[in-house]
Amino acid sequence: MGRKNAKWAFLLPALVYLMLMAILPLVWTLTLSFTKWHANIMPKPQWVGLNNYKYFLFEDPRFWHALGFTSMYVGISVTGELILGLVLATLLSHRFRGRNFFRVIYLIPMACPPIAVAFLWRMMLHPDIGVINTILKFIGLSGVKWTTSANVAPFTIIMVDMWEWTPFMFLTLLAAFQSLPVELYQAAAVDGANSWQMFTHITLPLIAPVIVTISLIRAIDAFKLFELVFGITGAGPGSATESLSFYVYVIGMKWFKLGSGSAVSWLFLIILLIFAIILISRFKKQRTV
Amino acid sequence: MITEHGIGRRKPLGATIIIIVLIIFAIWTLFPVIWAVITSFKEPGDSYKPTFIPYKQFKPTLHAWEDAFITTRDRTLRSLRNSIVIATLSSTATLLLGAFAGYSLARYEFKKWKNKDIALWILSNRMFPPVAVMIPYFLIMQHLHLLDNVLGIVMVHTTMNLPLSVWLMLDFFSELPKDLEEAAMIDGCGHLKAFFYIALPISAPGLVAVYVLAFIFSWNEFLFVIVLGFRKAMTLPVLIAGSLTVRGLDFWKVASLSILAIIPPVILALILSRYLVRGLTLGAIKE
Repeated sequence: MGRKNAKWAFLLPALVYLMLMAILPLVWTLTLSFTKWHANIMPKPQWVGLNNYKYFLFEDPRFWHALGFTSMYVGISVTGELILGLVLATLLSHRFRGRNFFRVIYLIPMACPPIAVAFLWRMMLHPDIGVINTILKFIGLSGVKWTTSANVAPFTIIMVDMWEWTPFMFLTLLAAFQSLPVELYQAAAVDGANSWQMFTHITLPLIAPVIVTISLIRAIDAFKLFELVFGITGAGPGSATESLSFYVYVIGMKWFKLGSGSAVSWLFLIILLIFAIILISRFKKQRTV
Repeated sequence: MITEHGIGRRKPLGATIIIIVLIIFAIWTLFPVIWAVITSFKEPGDSYKPTFIPYKQFKPTLHAWEDAFITTRDRTLRSLRNSIVIATLSSTATLLLGAFAGYSLARYEFKKWKNKDIALWILSNRMFPPVAVMIPYFLIMQHLHLLDNVLGIVMVHTTMNLPLSVWLMLDFFSELPKDLEEAAMIDGCGHLKAFFYIALPISAPGLVAVYVLAFIFSWNEFLFVIVLGFRKAMTLPVLIAGSLTVRGLDFWKVASLSILAIIPPVILALILSRYLVRGLTLGAIKE
């Protein structure tokens, strides 16, 4: 086998697999998105052109609500996770006894199956008999309608997401901190800079690229929000916590409207594409493969 | 003022505050898991009461565990077995395809399409929303008679994890010297042989890391499993979702099943903690 054959023989299996199982299905979804196909009662899809897109973009408040909720959730939870992660990583960048113990503990939430996380929180956040409200009442506060109030429920989802993913920000930032040059800080200390000045003038500028990259990665993943909504609120109350993924799931798998479901999922894909292109172009610049 | 790896001032008071903050955050992080363990040893009636201390506040029992492994034994064992089979098979396929492709991109030069473009194109497949392929997958599996079949889910999970696998393997191979393989090839060793006997063994840590990451992602996946496998091919995540009945949520059941589903990926993540961050950041951060 020559060099040329070898390189393709190694690469092709993965390329072909992705073509068949990722690109082809995406193209199929795009085609379906121009059709009406209520699979329960229609044997075949029927071409309707841009009707689905027109409907969702201009006539369906539920789509816009799902988009609005998902965007708000991504914005708040990623920002919150980043700030908390920065605080914790700064605290833990000191070397002290038991440091590894804490690092290991913080790994646990992101390794757990998200659906288990969701149902465990649903259990704890039960408005009447959940352990969280009991504790709140015990220390003299009033219980919170975590999952039953349309005003609170979106923030409940955000809170659980922060429980699950703050450790991601924290551990990545901690790793980034370890690679910072100690000499800079020594020089700054000689000049009499305090901790806060060092943080804002040295640490932040140096890790800014890392912050952008991990925030993008986190945002892309957060946009796919499904399990927490499924497990904690079931998109309720009403559809107050319905995410884009959940809406597509309902349209496609509950109502079996395969054409409409495909159209929403392509609108969703286009939104994610913007984030993905920014992230990919950063990788392209940074890395010399 | 400047510690070996840390930055800032060290005062005894500051150190105490730091420890307190970290302990509070650790309690917050661990609480749901601890609460699940406590609840899984309660009678159904007790499981709805917020009591903490066994023997004093409630009588510990194995009811939930007996229910899982004796009363509803078949469902539990089927889900457990499916979870293990799906995660094992799909991460094996992911690793094989990923190692081949990663090796190709790390060791050979592509002209028309640059190596980096191919690698980034592959990585971009990880970013689209899973729901965007949910409907075609459903139709494909229906057509192939693979609905509610373990094999269908294995195929889908392999697709889901392959981009990351290629990307990380490329990273691992690029870090290793190519001298050994080149020397072997000069001695008349073929490309395949060089890959299997030289490149694979020296990249063992990378292979293990990618395998375990793919295993965890497959084990935890929920959307495709409920769409493509509901009864025969159900996994632990589907079983957990099943504890929500028309009567409401069975706390004791959710607790025991969640613990069961949480233990394997958490143990794997702890063993592999160094690579978890690298995998989750798409290799952008190395520890």
